[in-house]
Order: sequence, then structure tokens, then C-alpha cells
Amino acid sequence: MSGLRLTLRVPLRERIDLGPAFAAAWIGAGATEIAGRDVWSARSGPLPLGDLFTVKGTPDGTVTLAGDLELAGRVGAGLGEGTLRVDGSVGDHAGAGLRGGRLEISGHAGHSTGEGMSGGLIVVRGNAGNRTGAAAPGRKRGMTGGELVVLGNAGEETGAAMRRGLVAVGGTTGSCTLLSGIAGTVVACGSTGPDAALWNKRGSLVCLAPVEPGATYRYACIIQPVYLRLLLRRLRDAYGLPVTAAHIDGRFRRYSGDFAETGRGEILAWSPA
Amino acid sequence: MQIRGVHIEDTFAEAFTMRSARLIVTARSARWVREAALKLTGFATSVIGCKCEAGIERELTEAETPDGRPGVSVLLMVMAKDELSKRLIERVGQTILTCPTTACYDGLPDAPDRLKVGSALRYFGDGFQSSKVIGGQRFWRIPVMEGEFLVAETFGMVKCIGGGNFLILAEDADKALAAAEAAVDAMHGMTGIILPFPGGVVRSGSKVGSKRSKTMIASTNDAYCPTLRAVTATALPDTVNSVLEIVVNGLDAAAINASMRAGIDAACRPGVVSITAGNYGGKLGPHHFKLRDIMGGTSA
Repeated sequence: MSGLRLTLRVPLRERIDLGPAFAAAWIGAGATEIAGRDVWSARSGPLPLGDLFTVKGTPDGTVTLAGDLELAGRVGAGLGEGTLRVDGSVGDHAGAGLRGGRLEISGHAGHSTGEGMSGGLIVVRGNAGNRTGAAAPGRKRGMTGGELVVLGNAGEETGAAMRRGLVAVGGTTGSCTLLSGIAGTVVACGSTGPDAALWNKRGSLVCLAPVEPGATYRYACIIQPVYLRLLLRRLRDAYGLPVTAAHIDGRFRRYSGDFAETGRGEILAWSPA
Repeated sequence: MQIRGVHIEDTFAEAFTMRSARLIVTARSARWVREAALKLTGFATSVIGCKCEAGIERELTEAETPDGRPGVSVLLMVMAKDELSKRLIERVGQTILTCPTTACYDGLPDAPDRLKVGSALRYFGDGFQSSKVIGGQRFWRIPVMEGEFLVAETFGMVKCIGGGNFLILAEDADKALAAAEAAVDAMHGMTGIILPFPGGVVRSGSKVGSKRSKTMIASTNDAYCPTLRAVTATALPDTVNSVLEIVVNGLDAAAINASMRAGIDAACRPGVVSITAGNYGGKLGPHHFKLRDIMGGTSA
């Protein structure tokens, strides 16, 4: 067995906060040390990770979590190093405040996945909920760096208030994608809900499916931005997003906006030949 | 030592430490890649008069470039490290930014020494520029009349070696040129080297300083000029009537060794009398490329 494998002993019956487990440095920590780290239970308060999971294996910079973790919140929150894999789905706030390393979720993720992350990589193979990559409540800035890739669908307000970084969604995104975006990039391979990039300042929303920019956006031109060739090729090759050669070689309608804000943002809408 | 009847002198090429950047230039088509690369590497034969030395390292296929378009790899070299960013900003700004459909990427992303190039050129965007981070590397998007110019924010800088060389001494000018062309063809596209002179060949090899002018830092290498055989201390055998030089700069000694081996081997053909190399007695350049070692013989 390579790395540490944490297997849920019994199904969770209450919400737990797994954030504290891997927010601090953990590479090199053995099974016993990891099992002794405290996590938070909604009812019981702090309890050792080992009470919830069996911990086996030898440390090599990777940890795999197995079991039904839909009641587990903040999985990988604050992660700064290594690779954290989840076999299955997780609850809300997965990867919140991620600083580095990789968080890979084979199932679905709840709301606020990757909120406020500043670096590293999150890959969700299923769907993600609302406010993916967005700002935490009360915060002015969402993502400030890193890459957040959702191969399924993402909910409303994806990338809200993001400042830097990349959110890429293989499926659909809900309403108000890139709401109040400061900068950064959201790539939506599927359809995008209403009010796309509303109040966006300098961010880029790239839509590979038809999108109707709001009234506060102005059409600029048809363009083949070279940077999209780099970006789309990377999303296809590194993450398997549904990007085709027609997208990479294609033309995009550029809309400037939101003129309710600075007008320096953009919506790039793929325009089939 | 002889290769196919050509005498290999027991001498060495003396070369210097320089600083290099590698630029990956792409464009919509091979035509515009070539146009951009020729301008980028133009007037860059010698630091003596051009401030830098540059050349096309090799052509790149669509599969080898960051954006999937045709491209070239270019090496640009200078003597002093604080000169490199100036030359890059000048040349990328005047030849790549201006050329239709091009983009410019860093070919040394792992080099710890970074030069701010795109971050300087971005000001051409007059406040309308924007940046994107893709795969951990920041790029600048500069709006231009055609559309948008994409350039890497920083370029890597590494130590390199300039001034690897060998001289082809031939019976006549046609045979010297044919041998030089064969050498360049053999060296073309080898990774890590450039041949900064026209077509890779120099007809005006120089010596350090001048016999008559104190202000000249280099002047004709009279010992190898056939027309001066009777009036100078010639280094030419009696049967030699033309000499051409191949100058090779490389990212490391191994690359120069490999290219010189290929070039010298190709140059050993009928009509070539001997192969020698330019040096300054070993006192100026720290890198010595011994011809016989390179060709698998033994040096004195």
C-alpha cells in the first residue's frame, strides 16, 4: 500500500469538520500521528481522527479517505501540501482555503468547494454545489490562486468574487457565474445560467456553450485568443474536460463588461463555425 | 590525426561564458514563424557589434509548442547578465510583438534566474493589458490592432558558452564553401546550439585588437587570409586558398562538443586540406574545445 489510507469505521451520523486534520503540515506523519489528530464533531466536539477512521499504510505524501463522507465538511480545508484523495463524495466547504497540494474527489462535492483558496489544485470528478471557488461569507475575495476543476456540474455563483486563479467546469454552471468577479478565469464547458458575470470587474468568463451576456455587456469583436489555446489544451490534456479541437481552434465573440462596474472584464463566447 | 584525408590540427577552440535565454515563438503558420524568427535573430552575429548573438535553435512542430501551432526555438546570448533583459525587451518588442499572429513563450521555465520581459512589454498595452496564469506561469495579453499578443511574463536565464569554432582550410573558395555548407547542414537543428553568423558561416574571422588602430577591439585574422600570405606571418599551408569558419554557441559544453563533432566530420571532404580552430593561447576564454578529443583522437 502506498501512502496512508483512512477508512471510515462506521457510517457518519452527524456532521464532522475534517478541516483540522490536514491543514497543518502532515507529509511525513505516520499512521499513529495522523490518527491522533483532532477533528470536530457537531455534537461531541473534538475527537481523534482515529475514532472515526482506521488509518493504515506508510507516509509518502498521499492520503486516501474512503467511506461515505457526505456529512464530512471542510475535507482538505487549508491543505498546503501533498495529495489528499477521497473515494466518494464529500460535504460542504471541501478544500476551503486550500493553499497548496492537491485535493481529488472522485464523487460529488457540496457547496462552497474551494472557497477562498489561494493555491494548489482541486479536482471534483462529480458535481459541485453553489459558490464553488467563491468568497467565504463576509469576505470580499474568493479564490486568489490555484486551479479548481469540476468535471460535472457546478451550482450558482461559481467563482463569485474570485480575484485570481482558474475555475473550470465540465458540465453546466448555475446562475450568476463569476458574480462580482475581481479577476481570474472561469471556463464553463456546458451551459451557463442567467446573469453570467454580473458585476464582474476584470475577470474572464469563457463559455463553450451558448451564453447570453447581460445588458451591461457590450459586444467587442470576434477573436481567437492565443491564451485560450494554452488554457483549453491544458484543460483537455491534464483534466479530461470536454474540450475539442473545434474549441481550441475556434473563434470567440468577445463581450466587454460589466459596465455596471469597471467594464474591464470579458465574456468570451465560443462561436461555432 | 586525419579524417578521410583531412588533417585535424592539434589545437583547440577557445570559448567564453555567456548568458542565454531560450524563446519559443509560435504563429498561425510556418510562414509567419519564419518571418518573426528571422527578424528576431537578425543583426545578432557577434556581441562585438550587435550587443547580442542569436540564432534559431530548431524548428518546432505543433506538438512541441505550448499553443499547438508551428514554432521555433531561438537562443539569444549576451556577455553580461544585466544585458540580457534589455536585449530581450528590445527584440521581442520590436520583432515579435509587431509580427502578425505570433506569441512568445519562455523556453527555460526551470531556470531559477528570471528576466522580466513580458512584464515590461505589457506597458505597450497602455493600461488595457491583462494577465493570466496558466499552469503556474503568468502570461500577458497585450491588445494590438490585429487582436492580442501573448507573451510570457518572465524568461529564464542560464549560463552558456559562446565562441566554439572551427576553421575549414580548403584548396579553393568553392570547396571551402561546400564543406562549410555540409558542416552547417550536419549541425542544423541540434538541440542546445546556435550558429549565429549568416548561414552559420563566417568568412571574416578576427583576431583580438589591431596592428594599426588602438580603438579596434577586433580586426581581420591576417594569418588566415590567403591574399596576405606573402606579407604576414601566415598560418596557411601552401595548398590552401580559402578559409571559412563555423562559430557555434551552446547552452553547455556537451552540446558544443556534439555539434562540432558533427560539423567537422561533415566538413572532411575532398578539397579540404585541414581543420583548425581559433584561440587566444588559452588565456582569455575558460572553455577549450580540443579538436582531436572531440573527433575521438588524442591531443598533445
